[in-house]
Amino acid sequence: MRTPTGSILECVPPAVKLAALFSISVLLFLTGSLTLLGSAAGTVLVLCLLFCRFAVLQWLKAWPLLLTIAAVALWTAYNDGYQEALVLLLRLGTLSLVATVVTVTTSIGEFIETVTRAAIPLERLGIANARDIGLAIGLVMRFVPDVRQRYLAVVDAHRARGLPLRPTTLIAPMVIGTLKSADDIADAIDARGIRTNSHPQKRAENA
Amino acid sequence: MHSKSLVLIALFTAIIVVLGLIPPIMVAFIPVPIHAQSLGVLMAGIVLGARGGALSALLLIVLVAIGLPVLSGGRGGLAVFLSPTAGYLVGYLPTAWATGWLSERVALKAGGGWKTFAGLLAAAVVGVIVTHVFGVAWLITYVGLSPRDALVGDLIFVPGDLIKAGIAAYVGQFVLQNFGSRLRMQ
Repeated sequence: MRTPTGSILECVPPAVKLAALFSISVLLFLTGSLTLLGSAAGTVLVLCLLFCRFAVLQWLKAWPLLLTIAAVALWTAYNDGYQEALVLLLRLGTLSLVATVVTVTTSIGEFIETVTRAAIPLERLGIANARDIGLAIGLVMRFVPDVRQRYLAVVDAHRARGLPLRPTTLIAPMVIGTLKSADDIADAIDARGIRTNSHPQKRAENA
Repeated sequence: MHSKSLVLIALFTAIIVVLGLIPPIMVAFIPVPIHAQSLGVLMAGIVLGARGGALSALLLIVLVAIGLPVLSGGRGGLAVFLSPTAGYLVGYLPTAWATGWLSERVALKAGGGWKTFAGLLAAAVVGVIVTHVFGVAWLITYVGLSPRDALVGDLIFVPGDLIKAGIAAYVGQFVLQNFGSRLRMQ
């Protein structure tokens, strides 16, 4: 999720950034040379510190991910030696940093637009509706706080009655309560005509 | 697709995200946290069926790619797809599909009771196996662990995931029996 970073990388089109990330991920796995990987990692780090310091901070904040990489590297060092572990560390470390840069310099709106545009070929093939994909993403973002609230309410209800917190008694009411609201939300979407422009004939089917 | 199906898929993705917000537990140095998120994926398959469940999982994967911190432990962003455990995330999609496909057949045939539960449990266990196959395959091919190491690291999570399969089957049956007719995907 983007907070303004002031980085010039924000001006680069998201599609270009994604293509760059993809090619870097392929290139890093083509070579096993420590010199090449080391210089790649160094270049990326220096460029990040120069142009997008915020991304480095976010990268360090994502410590569970870095811990995962470190754990696998340790295991590799123990089994296959330090050389292999270093190669793995440089590859995954560089990649996760580049991926973080792309993520923090691109807003959710830009991402949704890019995803919607990338989905247009799917729409032409008749597999999916590009606009529905954008709508679905927006709906999830809107629903997460609601579902979380519902979960906390169920937890409170358990506490108020002195019931132990069991996964089954917590999750069933949350799922049912959430899914019960589906009809109302679907009606609201149809009433506002949000999906009418793209598929008028579908609206007739729904009616 | 009807608006209601779209909403159900989005709602279930939201449920999966919220289940991930329950704090995960890291087991020693094994790089996979134990969390309730995969439970949500199994339930999506059971409740919404193959197509709806798979679309729900796909939506989750797209949200991760967009960079939202929707995975357990607040993870998100493209970096996740390049991490050692990416196989488990990508595996959610075939997991939801396989669990859904099997439960659709069970829900239609068995008339409730322990037979339905056994069928849903089998569907969820197959789902768990699919996730682990993808996770281990990724550890071997992409991260470069030896098959033995990858399997040893993976097996520690199997008991926990089997418990989750049991919970998913129980809750799934409860939801299907009480709300099944209202949740049918169109």
